[in-house]
Amino acid sequence: MAHGGITARGEFLAGCRDEAPLLLGVAPFGMIYGIAALAAGVPAWLAQLASAIVFAGAVQLVIVQMLAAGAGFIPIALTSGLLNLRHVLYSASMAEYVRHLPRRWRLLLAYVLTDEAYAVAVLRYQQRHAAAADHAEHTNATADLRHWYFLGAGFTLWAGWQLSTAAGLLFGTTIPPEWELDFAVPLTFIALLTLLLRERAGQAAALVAGLGALAFAALPYKLGLVAAIVLGLAAGAWTVRRLEQAR
Amino acid sequence: MSTTALLLLLVLVGLLTYLYRYAMIGLFASRSLPRWLHALCLHIAPASFAALTASALFVAGGEVVFAFDTPRPWAALVAVLVAWRTRNVLATIGAGMAALYLLKLLFPT
Repeated sequence: MAHGGITARGEFLAGCRDEAPLLLGVAPFGMIYGIAALAAGVPAWLAQLASAIVFAGAVQLVIVQMLAAGAGFIPIALTSGLLNLRHVLYSASMAEYVRHLPRRWRLLLAYVLTDEAYAVAVLRYQQRHAAAADHAEHTNATADLRHWYFLGAGFTLWAGWQLSTAAGLLFGTTIPPEWELDFAVPLTFIALLTLLLRERAGQAAALVAGLGALAFAALPYKLGLVAAIVLGLAAGAWTVRRLEQAR
Repeated sequence: MSTTALLLLLVLVGLLTYLYRYAMIGLFASRSLPRWLHALCLHIAPASFAALTASALFVAGGEVVFAFDTPRPWAALVAVLVAWRTRNVLATIGAGMAALYLLKLLFPT
């Protein structure tokens, strides 16, 4: 990481550099998304556009998975609306660092506030919090330019996501359906789910939602998925309360 | 779904996602996240992924189908075991796909 003479350009580039290794983990998802989108019958231009306007990997995979299963507009919108709600968490934990910025900066940073950019940027903010505060007291000339770092990280992830989507879309047209690469999407969900099941309430939410998806399978337009997720959230909330009471 | 409807859906989801991201640094910058919403946020991803996985594996055409004579449920089981042991996303996807191909090779339909 470049410390030394801090300039906007230097911070931006440092953000780019620190985000770059994460692209190795992100690129396969972009490609899986592109391939699965084509398999679900989404036109390539629209799949690419989605990566720019939605710019959230998990929800894009969910949309494609639900389209392939024949889900309707409302269930997909509701499921996406629920799943993406967790971005409010990132927004909340970034708030203390960016609150002082002019509105145009916050509007811009909100667009790149993804899981992976957040992970890199929040480290920079925490790392240099003490040091920068120390510095600023001595001289007002050294302004806090870490939002440029955040922007660099976010921009790098954005570019990587667009390019890997494009690679998946290019590659996807040449892959025969017998390869069943669409199966990579539920496999991705399994992998992410395993990482997330750390505490009791989350496990309860997952178990009830999984069973609910089977119990409500017959509901039209895949509305059963929405019902299952809501029921899972209720189970999670109930478990939290039970655990608090037991304490 | 028509292309127009899908475009509309994506714009809607995109706008909503942006609003979520802007919420606490812009719209409600001076407030902190309510505790219930914080807890809810933590459970959304596990609940969604579990529902979608169960549905992808065991629901076909609006009916629950436990197709244990096909490779997918078994390949998914391999993926679950690898995910558990390694906690590595790419290893999980790789193992699941490899298991799928191996099963298809061993038991051609």
